[in-house]
Amino acid sequence: MFREVTFTDVNRAAVDAQADLVMDEDTFRAFYERNARGVWAYLARVAGDRQTADDLLQETFYRFLRAAAEHDSEDHRRNSLYRIATNLARDARRRILTRPQAAVAGHDIETIANLTGTAETGADLDRAMARLKPRERAMLWLAYAEGASHREIAAILGLRPASLKLLLFRARRRLAVLLGRSEVRDVTR
Amino acid sequence: MLPVECEFESEVLSAVLQSRWPDRAAAQLRAHAETCAICSDVAAVAGVIDNARERTRGSATVPDSGRVWWLAQVRARREAARSAARPITATQLIAGAAAVGFSGACFGATSRWFQEALAGFSFSAAFAEHTVLAIGMAAVILVVPAAAWLALRRD
Repeated sequence: MFREVTFTDVNRAAVDAQADLVMDEDTFRAFYERNARGVWAYLARVAGDRQTADDLLQETFYRFLRAAAEHDSEDHRRNSLYRIATNLARDARRRILTRPQAAVAGHDIETIANLTGTAETGADLDRAMARLKPRERAMLWLAYAEGASHREIAAILGLRPASLKLLLFRARRRLAVLLGRSEVRDVTR
Repeated sequence: MLPVECEFESEVLSAVLQSRWPDRAAAQLRAHAETCAICSDVAAVAGVIDNARERTRGSATVPDSGRVWWLAQVRARREAARSAARPITATQLIAGAAAVGFSGACFGATSRWFQEALAGFSFSAAFAEHTVLAIGMAAVILVVPAAAWLALRRD
């Protein structure tokens, strides 16, 4: 005997199939607990302010879930997450840049301050990081806060691994000079 | 060409990240870093960023994982419902077009007036006389479904 299938049934089945997320709840929650603070800190550093990091954190995890990509390791999974965060931060910055009143440099310096509290070194870093390009901030944070390899950083930022070494070298030089830890020596832009 | 890497860079970095820099690092490594621009930059930058890492993470305000999961579920279902409605809209469009075609065919088959009018009608003569109109109609027949498909796809 045939079961009557209505449009509603077909629709519901399609919704169920398409709404399936790539992880089950427990796996997701464990993954989130391990990475949420790290991703938030990365977004705050790259985007330059806490509000943007707050806004983009959930979106990052949602897009990660919906991407339904297969990952062969935890590192690979984490790199995908950071790649999504990078793209979202880039889009957010573009939106800020297209706003008529955006005074971008000033905005960054004001809003990036206080990310690391009031400690003198932290405030110095905030001010120095604010003077770097978002991509330089991303490279340095991934390399020295997240401990990512050159290959991982290149994959996250969509760069060629061969060019990453030079770009990271330049970014590091600029930051060292801005922090006053190094005399100004040929900081090529 | 300006060197961008140093063979001792990773050792300096390890010492910094393990809080061994500078006091508990090897004297040779410290001596090298004093003369190597790359290693001195690595030591300076990595140390400051590593110190900021925990402070920045600590100041993060992240929502509860259960709430993020629940919101993701709700949003995924909403988006899936929207996407699943698209084929049904297309089906309804095709069914409507088929109904119009079927009604026209019934009218043509049953109307005596239409049959009589068609008897004296020559397609080739009409095409020769109204070539531009015929091409225009053919174009409309091709363009309308394509436009409908594009509109549905954007939706």
